[in-house]
Amino acid sequence: MTATTGSSRRIPWLRLPRGDERRTRRVDRQAELDRELAAVESETPSIDIAPHDPVLAYFQGSPEPVLVDQLRIESPGVQALRDAGVTLVVPLVTQGELIGLLNLGERLSEQEYSADDRKLLENLAGQAAPALRVAQLVREQEAEVRRRERYEQEMRVAQLIQQNFLPKQLPATSGWEVAAFYRPAREVGGDFYDFIDLPDGRLGIVVGDVTDKGVPAALVMASTRSVLRSSAQRLVEPGQVLERVNEMISQDMPPNMFVTCLYGVLEPSTGHFRFANAGHNLPCVQTEDGAVEVRATGMPLGLLPGMIYEENEVVVEPGRTLLLYSDALPEAHGPEGDMFGFPKLVEVAGVSGDDVIDELLTELDRFTGPGWEQEDDITLVSLTRAAMAQDAFASTGDDPGRPLAAFTIPSAPGNEREVMERVADVVSGLPIDADRLDRLKTAVSEATMNAIEHGNQNRSDLLVEVRVFASEQALLVRITDQGAGGSVPDSIGDPDLEAKLRGEQSPRGWGLFLIKNMVDDMNVFDDEDHHTVDLILRMDGDAHG
Amino acid sequence: MSESPVSLGIREAQPGITVIDIHGDMTPAAEDALMDAYAQINGANTVVLNFGGLDYMNSGGIGLLVMLLVRAQRQKQRLLAYGLTDHYRQIFELTRLDDAITIHDDESAAVKAASG
Repeated sequence: MTATTGSSRRIPWLRLPRGDERRTRRVDRQAELDRELAAVESETPSIDIAPHDPVLAYFQGSPEPVLVDQLRIESPGVQALRDAGVTLVVPLVTQGELIGLLNLGERLSEQEYSADDRKLLENLAGQAAPALRVAQLVREQEAEVRRRERYEQEMRVAQLIQQNFLPKQLPATSGWEVAAFYRPAREVGGDFYDFIDLPDGRLGIVVGDVTDKGVPAALVMASTRSVLRSSAQRLVEPGQVLERVNEMISQDMPPNMFVTCLYGVLEPSTGHFRFANAGHNLPCVQTEDGAVEVRATGMPLGLLPGMIYEENEVVVEPGRTLLLYSDALPEAHGPEGDMFGFPKLVEVAGVSGDDVIDELLTELDRFTGPGWEQEDDITLVSLTRAAMAQDAFASTGDDPGRPLAAFTIPSAPGNEREVMERVADVVSGLPIDADRLDRLKTAVSEATMNAIEHGNQNRSDLLVEVRVFASEQALLVRITDQGAGGSVPDSIGDPDLEAKLRGEQSPRGWGLFLIKNMVDDMNVFDDEDHHTVDLILRMDGDAHG
Repeated sequence: MSESPVSLGIREAQPGITVIDIHGDMTPAAEDALMDAYAQINGANTVVLNFGGLDYMNSGGIGLLVMLLVRAQRQKQRLLAYGLTDHYRQIFELTRLDDAITIHDDESAAVKAASG
């Protein structure tokens, strides 16, 4: 009969169920050995002995050749040995551990095994067992290395998927400074964030975290993101959007996985941020008295269909910042094992200026000390409302009204006509008489022309942004250029026809004068990159005559 | 460049009174057309601008009218206008162009004022 060696998992005549390692490709000599082994395996009957079979304990306890007929134990294992025609069993034991059995059938001579035979087999077993153990350890280690390589490979793939779906650039929202920080942990977590351009100049903002790591988490993140994007375009209310996303992803969510997610819509002109929350961290907003968290509750996405998501709303005042974030920063551990903590995050956010992200990262560094290994992905998204925007609303109050339209045009001469007609269309349903509409059209046209020629220097790659708002009291048309040409000089007083006719003033230069006289109010404001003109027409009618 | 946004017709209403019929837009792009038309007028002491066909006028167009007015004053010509919508009439008043270019309701009123 044949005697073979191999790890316990692979010994053909003893299967100890120890995981499911299959053989993978090996090279050269190893491959040759494997082929020989396979040949032996194929002609040797396989014997399965369950790991708890009492006979195994017996073999481990008396590591010497045993005749199967003389075993005083009855068990399925013993029966299996008999059925396979095994006469003599030589346990292979090393360091007290049974690592295999040398099973022999009857001697070819049909004589019984002699004492010498047994002695020989015992010596053989004594030398083979440690060698076999070493071989087993080597194989286990190789398997471990392969497992780790596969794992790292998977992590790389996950990272690729994940980073591919993070925004490549930040939204250029007029009057807002948007910043995002994302730093993956060594083993990628499932953090993501996204910005979604919505109709009427609104901005959708997403911050989320998929439980679990690796490729499955990255795929769940990718599909959640795309479902969210399409739902956000179709539905207005953030709560409805999350409900729909939850319905859609619940169907296909792998077990034990879910997604925490905060989705909100920012109205840039008013600072209103309306959001719903699927089990994610609460948004944090700066106020006069430090930062506060704003609550809205809801179950994480993908756990159960039919969930309802509460909504809440907060107003980001000019000069203040809204912060959205994932767990990793507040849950970071210091050298003493203590946690950074949510209160500290809120505190730091409250005393930071417009660079909340920098302040938090600095504070995190100080807290964790050097040599800290980041435990999970860190995601921070901040939206800071420009301080100067306050002046812009001084005459109409903070709220310019409900947005009616927002669009852009390239800066080419003549495009002011298009803007004029579009604005006229947009306001056609409002109670504005023909005369005032004509005035508004002229003002819009003139202001757009200034934006095209002066602000954007007729550069067709620069856009003029136009927004229209209406409230009970007033209609507001906001025209913003990129400010490359500086603002139009508000001439030294009004143009004077007499002076022009005498040649003391250019015959041109009527634009700003016209605008001021066509509308009830005009406000001009600048930030670093933009020049904005607000044209205001009061709803209560009577134009100045 | 693109086509002129304006087309201008010149005709004599009465000896010494020439009418410029304006169709389209009075914007800076109309400068060449307007100055060419004006240059063709010989011997008239009054020029009447017919804005009945005006679609659109902007501040650049007002600038053009000021230039025209400067030339007309040099030539000792009078400038009159008619056919303005209420809106553009308001703009004439606002800019005080109506002090220098008198506005009339129609052609006959303008011609009467010019010959009177």
